[in-house]
Amino acid sequence: MFQLTELENDALIEIFNIGVGQAAASMSAIVNEAVRMSVPSISFIPRAEAARLLGSNDAVPERICGVSQHYAGAFETEAILMFPEDKSLEIVRLMVGETVPLKELTEMEQEAMCEIGNIMLNSCVGTLANIFQRELQGSLPRYHIGTSDEILNATSAGSQSDSVVLMLHIDFVLEKHQIHGYVAFVLAIAALHDLKDQINLYIARAMGQG
Amino acid sequence: MGSTKTVLIVDDSRVSRMIARQYIAGLHADWIVEEAATGEESLLKARQATPDLILMDVNMPGMGGIAAAEQLRQEFPAVPISLLTANVQTASRERAAAMGIGFMEKPITEARIAQLLATLEAA
Repeated sequence: MFQLTELENDALIEIFNIGVGQAAASMSAIVNEAVRMSVPSISFIPRAEAARLLGSNDAVPERICGVSQHYAGAFETEAILMFPEDKSLEIVRLMVGETVPLKELTEMEQEAMCEIGNIMLNSCVGTLANIFQRELQGSLPRYHIGTSDEILNATSAGSQSDSVVLMLHIDFVLEKHQIHGYVAFVLAIAALHDLKDQINLYIARAMGQG
Repeated sequence: MGSTKTVLIVDDSRVSRMIARQYIAGLHADWIVEEAATGEESLLKARQATPDLILMDVNMPGMGGIAAAEQLRQEFPAVPISLLTANVQTASRERAAAMGIGFMEKPITEARIAQLLATLEAA
């Protein structure tokens, strides 16, 4: 199983903390509301186990709407933002305001969720790229609806047999709306080693050796 | 107040175009807002509408925002262009600077739109 040293793990959590902080700021600007986010908990687990964990978590609804984007460059990953399906319309309403009629709102729900995913995932991944001093090229966002297993399987990296999920669990708390969101990064084994290399370069720079 | 201006919003997200349009209309009800959903369409719209400012998303299907901005820069060298993108990477900012165009990160907020329009208000 893939492992990080204590220092590498600490650096990874710190880097993702900064990335998630940027994503929280973006989310707050989208919904025009204060957003609190928990410190991300990070674990590396096989894809099948990740789906099972998400599926057995009482806080995670059975049906999820997800937005995924593939990133390539310093390391390759599929980033997935997941929200409860029954909350997505509420999130879109917060984004576009009260004046848009329900029919129009429903029509644009999928597109709006893609844009929210695009902004949040790029905010987080872009921050990681800046910290690593490397560029990550992102694909267009893709929208999914289904169980956590179906969504993880629908992503290109998720369908690879040796893929590992860097499970980054984030609890979004909006001041007025109890909405929980989750972010997962799916990486194949080779990509995990690339990520580890980037972490070590970051550590070396932090110690003045880069 | 300055004269009426035309702003071209280029974004494949209808929601983003709608939000940007709302903020522009709120700040300058008399300004004209044109929209394009792709880089290719932005070239056609710019030739028709001769905008005073172009707001350009980056990650779009087809030719994409960078290629469209490069072409628009050649055709309309006097028209200010600003990327309006979720891609917050330093490399994107540096690319915009090298092209001589502006950079504004998403999400679109009224303050960010106001900042982009401010350069035109005095003109």
